Amino acid sequence: MGRIMLENVTKRFGDVEVIPPLDLDINDGEFVVFVGPSGCGKSTLLRLIAGLEDTSGGRILIDGKDATDLAPAKRGLAMVFQSYALYPHMSVRKNIAFPMRMAGIPQDEQNRRIEAAAKALNLTAYLDRRPGQLSGGQRQRVAIGRAIVREPSAFLFDEPLSNLDAALRVGMRLEISELHNRLKTTMVYVTHDQVEAMTMADKIVVLQAGRIEQVGSPMELYKAPKNLFVAGFIGSPKMNLLTGAVAAQHGAATIGVRPEHIHVSPTGGAWKGRVGVSEHLGSDTFFYVEDTGLAETITVRAGGDLELYHGDTVWLTPDPARIHRFDDQGLRIA
Amino acid sequence: MSTKASRTAARLMISPAVLLLLGWMIVPLAMTLYFSFLRYNLLMPGMESWAGFENYRYFFTDPAFWPAMRNTLVLVGGVLMITTIGGILVALLLDQPFWGQNIVRLLVLAPFFVMPTVSALVWKNMFMNPVNGIFAYLARVLGLQPYDFLTQAPLASIIGIVSWQWLPFASLILLTALQSLNSEQMEAAEMDGAGPLSRFWFITLPHLARAITVVILIQTIFLLSIFAEILVTTNGGPGTASTNLTFLVYMQSLLQFDVGLGSAGGVVAIILANIVAIFLMRMIGKNLDA
Repeated sequence: MGRIMLENVTKRFGDVEVIPPLDLDINDGEFVVFVGPSGCGKSTLLRLIAGLEDTSGGRILIDGKDATDLAPAKRGLAMVFQSYALYPHMSVRKNIAFPMRMAGIPQDEQNRRIEAAAKALNLTAYLDRRPGQLSGGQRQRVAIGRAIVREPSAFLFDEPLSNLDAALRVGMRLEISELHNRLKTTMVYVTHDQVEAMTMADKIVVLQAGRIEQVGSPMELYKAPKNLFVAGFIGSPKMNLLTGAVAAQHGAATIGVRPEHIHVSPTGGAWKGRVGVSEHLGSDTFFYVEDTGLAETITVRAGGDLELYHGDTVWLTPDPARIHRFDDQGLRIA
Repeated sequence: MSTKASRTAARLMISPAVLLLLGWMIVPLAMTLYFSFLRYNLLMPGMESWAGFENYRYFFTDPAFWPAMRNTLVLVGGVLMITTIGGILVALLLDQPFWGQNIVRLLVLAPFFVMPTVSALVWKNMFMNPVNGIFAYLARVLGLQPYDFLTQAPLASIIGIVSWQWLPFASLILLTALQSLNSEQMEAAEMDGAGPLSRFWFITLPHLARAITVVILIQTIFLLSIFAEILVTTNGGPGTASTNLTFLVYMQSLLQFDVGLGSAGGVVAIILANIVAIFLMRMIGKNLDA
């Protein structure tokens, strides 16, 4: 079981309020991702749940029990840190055994769980090595192994993939998702990478300056961003946000159109512009269109076969059904 | 840049310094060795003659030799124990955030800057003196008999004085090591259910192993040749109670003017230092490997 509820949780460092009163409900077995730009308080929020920081107000309930003042070890949560935080002088086996040793679990039970974790994480061959002799991905798996053997009610991940190179990151992303499917344990995952958030999450929590901007499934956030911040943050490349006359035509202060919802044509369309930079990826091509008179650049996605290059004139046509409208407060107009 | 030519050039460039250092070390060592085989007394200059191992025989059979040997080892061991354990505790305290941290750290370091002769004099006259010392005053306030430290426990007193001087050094090195401890590691251990004592034992202490090794090795080098503190406070006495090997060599070559015997003592001290070094490297040297 791993149901985590935050009620009016607040965090202040001195006079600075990092997290204004905040409510959040994390259901058992859910994969929840906290995402936001750096400094938005997502790591602080995770550390509050872990108990590594004290709350300045409010309550944290884990499985219905008040855990606000409980020591980190007593909350039944396991955490995987950004730097892995392995113990460098201990072998992989001892690293994984450490939490069980602290809990006084009998030796043969320890060994059983270590073998099981090592097998699940492909670490069997490395059990007697030191962390210093492992690659980044292997260290990450050891850190996960150390979390698994405790059989926690929820896992907390603090930007676990940010120290890995791009290829490994994709691989570990899959492994963590598979782990979640297999264990069905609650996972809370912090990242600044919206791609990780979109691909892994059951539920995304978008944070900005300690406030929750929107909570929802990845597709909800993509299809109906509640405000300009979420609209700009979720989706890659970013949504084009246009103001002025073109927005007024649609009865809004700002309109947003995603790059993939704009039709590109070399012959004719609604908005005329000139191709600035074009990125040909093979499967897709991204054009950064200038001189439209609507915004500095408009990003559009086209199929990989469209042969347009720097300086070429293009016409853009937005899909009218997929234009997002926002009022002058930056809130979505339904 | 590691071509053959650049490496040859590098060797050529370094060689004058290496040769100079080598000469600087070899010449006195060779002379000491040479003198140790001579009957050479400054009271009878120009009468030097070959003595073979006579000087060594006299030195080893000197009634002060074995006490001096024991005192040397007790002094080194005692100070090492106090400064490493004390240093770890002081470093742990200084690592806590508190008001006036920088000034306190500076103050803690201060004893290291006081000259050994001066600090020994201060300890002797202002602290341990049985009439005027602060300890004697405190004892009288409590209605106790003042304790004459330097007479009744000379070696222990010197260990105390030397430890006081070296504690800052150990604390400082260990403090910097503590500060390099990854805080996420400590937090991970906390999440793993390790209490403060377990965290110290399983995380902090292994992390400090290398720094502790450095402290022990460097201090041993200097502690084997403690001299000024003994000269200023007890003069090696009462009897031989606080004579170490260095002081014994001094007594024989400069108080008895016997250069040959002093040199033999010097050679013995070098051998002892090497034996200690070998044992230390065997015991803790592996901590220095990355």
